[in-house]
Amino acid sequence: MTERLQRLVMHAFRGVPAEMTVDFGNGESTVIFGENGTGKSTIADALEWYFRGEIELLSHEGRQHAVRYVGGEDGRATSVEVMTSGTLGGKVVFPDERTPDTFEAFRRETFLLRGRTLADFINKTKNEKWKALVEILGLDAIESLREDLQRARNDLRKASKAADEEVRVYRRALSSGGDTVSEETVLTSLRQICELLGVDPPQSLEQVAEPSWITAAVGASANASASSTGRENLVTEIEALKPPDFDKKVFEAWNALVVSDRARLLPRASLVREGKRLIEAQSTEAGRCPLCGQKVDQKVLARRIESALVEVMEASRDLERFRDPILEQADSLEGAYDLREAIHERVSGLGLETPPVPATPDTRIQDQVGALAPVDVDAIASYLSELRRWDKTVSKLARHISTPGPSERDNQLMMLAALCQQIRAWQQAEKKSARAERALTIAETVFDGYQRKQKDDLGELLERISGRVAQFYSTLHPGEALDAVSIEPWTAKGIELAIDFYGSRQRPPHGVLSESHLNSLAIAVFLAMAASFNEKLGFLILDDVINSFDVEHRGRLAELLADGFSDWQLIVLTHDQQFFEHLSRRAPSWRRIEFTSWSHASGPRTTKYETSGMLAAARERLQSGDVQGAATKGRRALEELLQEVCEALVAPLPFRRGQANDRREIGELFIGLRRTLKEHAKSQLQSLEPVFKHLEADVGATLNVAAHASRGRSGASEVQAALERIESLDALWSCPDCRTRVWHKGTPEAARCRCGKSAFPPVVVA
Amino acid sequence: MHRPSAEQFLLTLLETLEELPPELAQRLAGLVKKEHVDRASAIRQLFEDVAGD
Repeated sequence: MTERLQRLVMHAFRGVPAEMTVDFGNGESTVIFGENGTGKSTIADALEWYFRGEIELLSHEGRQHAVRYVGGEDGRATSVEVMTSGTLGGKVVFPDERTPDTFEAFRRETFLLRGRTLADFINKTKNEKWKALVEILGLDAIESLREDLQRARNDLRKASKAADEEVRVYRRALSSGGDTVSEETVLTSLRQICELLGVDPPQSLEQVAEPSWITAAVGASANASASSTGRENLVTEIEALKPPDFDKKVFEAWNALVVSDRARLLPRASLVREGKRLIEAQSTEAGRCPLCGQKVDQKVLARRIESALVEVMEASRDLERFRDPILEQADSLEGAYDLREAIHERVSGLGLETPPVPATPDTRIQDQVGALAPVDVDAIASYLSELRRWDKTVSKLARHISTPGPSERDNQLMMLAALCQQIRAWQQAEKKSARAERALTIAETVFDGYQRKQKDDLGELLERISGRVAQFYSTLHPGEALDAVSIEPWTAKGIELAIDFYGSRQRPPHGVLSESHLNSLAIAVFLAMAASFNEKLGFLILDDVINSFDVEHRGRLAELLADGFSDWQLIVLTHDQQFFEHLSRRAPSWRRIEFTSWSHASGPRTTKYETSGMLAAARERLQSGDVQGAATKGRRALEELLQEVCEALVAPLPFRRGQANDRREIGELFIGLRRTLKEHAKSQLQSLEPVFKHLEADVGATLNVAAHASRGRSGASEVQAALERIESLDALWSCPDCRTRVWHKGTPEAARCRCGKSAFPPVVVA
Repeated sequence: MHRPSAEQFLLTLLETLEELPPELAQRLAGLVKKEHVDRASAIRQLFEDVAGD
């Protein structure tokens, strides 16, 4: 449901210093007349600012702030208030702080066409036209998705190509250089290797792809590998051989201790302990030694026993301190011997001769420690030297125990493993390639379909728009040899206007169309866009769009707007009096506003007409006492009326080279009109002749302002009478019922008003 | 004239395309709605997912 404008209120805005209200009734169409500089375009500016958030002309010049009235009352806020038939109305105050979301609902819609930017669209490049259309149609989101689908498709195309190349590499490897490889040939190769290895061959390549199969195959040949591993370990062990650590100081400390006096006490330690026990138990005769029975001083004896016991205990602790490390060394020597003995056996098992491992002195060391005897340190050092020599000798021999080269079986196993690995990789690459191809097929199906639909839909849209453009253009330019106007696609991202020019297709049409033809085309495109795509805005504003049109085409545009867009609210602003009058006649139900003047202090002044324009203006002047002004307006009204009638009835008028043919003298118009009436409505001419003569006289005197200056002013009653004559003539060509002209439809020779009750030539009632 | 959204446009198209995985339309439409994502990459991933193994 589209919305219409009902009221516009402006405060301190553009040419309005204080407040100005424009009433559009219940969303009625309105034609607004005003000479240049009377401020009528302020209405278009206010609506553009409200519905677009900016005035393009000002934004383009970087003068957005110029929406404010310059030099207005201090402190008065600049604002525009719009009332609509729906929800789009509201009030905007400068500075405008609305966000782009405010305009989202109608930002794509067309509602304003200005004379100064009339041909902007048709002068755009093909690509710019395309972008503008994409914006209007809301195709940008659809286009953006197409680009993403295309990117996804292209990526998948690359991925698929890479996967195919990978497959080719494996195929070449498995087929010894060829591009094709079959499952059967690969299985045959596998079977041959398995036969050589004595391994059960696989039944299918899927079986080979299972890691368990190759594990089982390798497991069957594990012994061969174990042998190889054993040799490697033996060599590693030999190379790591090292004599045990030998702490000579510990042994020397031990030896020093065991030959000391304190150590000699140790064998008597038990005897001293027994004596102490007997004394403490008082189990011996008092005053006698509990061991030998000799008479002794009991206290002295006890002190001597205690002293001996302390000395024995200290010697015992020292021995203990050295005994453990020495026994650990003895264990190390024993361990070193055992290790070498084992290596000796393994090396011998490989068929190599090694010297016997030197006998370890560990047992002798242990015996000497047990007997608290000195240990033979030199013997230990000598033994360690022998061990080092043995290690060196065996290490030299170990260099000959290098790992044997792979056996034929090992080679076959490796071949099998490598083949299995290749097969797995090949199969994975095939899967990957197939998947990439499937993904690419989906992407291409979606993308191609999307692009096709986009093209078809756009084609359909262009066809619909073109149909309307052609319809509107042909209404403005009927019967010309310029035909078949359309908007056509131009490569992938371009559109262009095209037209048939004497059988030749012109795209773009600039080379064959005059400026006014191009402007007609621009108006046709504007109206077609609005008629095709507006969903929210039910009004159109046309601001001074007829500058390059001649009288005939202004009339046709008025007809197109009044008749073809009667379902729309049109707001037409013009400085052309004749177009204003013509539109007023063509669309009597429209509101009419005239901007009469503008001043810096008070802004625009307007007049609202209730009846037809110029005559109403003349009457208003007369009522206000401005007789001269009324005479001027009356003369203009007569001139416009005669011009309009002559054009409608195609009266023969002289053509004047280089002069405005739509601004002829009133005398010329009377001549043309009489000729036409004589030809088509002779009886009407006869009845009108007295009126014509009166009016010709009025033009020469009452309505002649220049004559007033020399002969004195006309009286109000004279002007009043002249105006009544003009009104009667005007009424003669208007239907009293539908208020449209009698040539509203039909041909100049036989026409009727909109309702059909009035006709030209007039129907004579018998 | 009604301006279709990208999502509607796509769904209308997918209805007419045959031999596409059944879940594709719904998942693709879901992707179209998402903002601030690398949509082209997400679409590519979706096509690969529905292509299966």
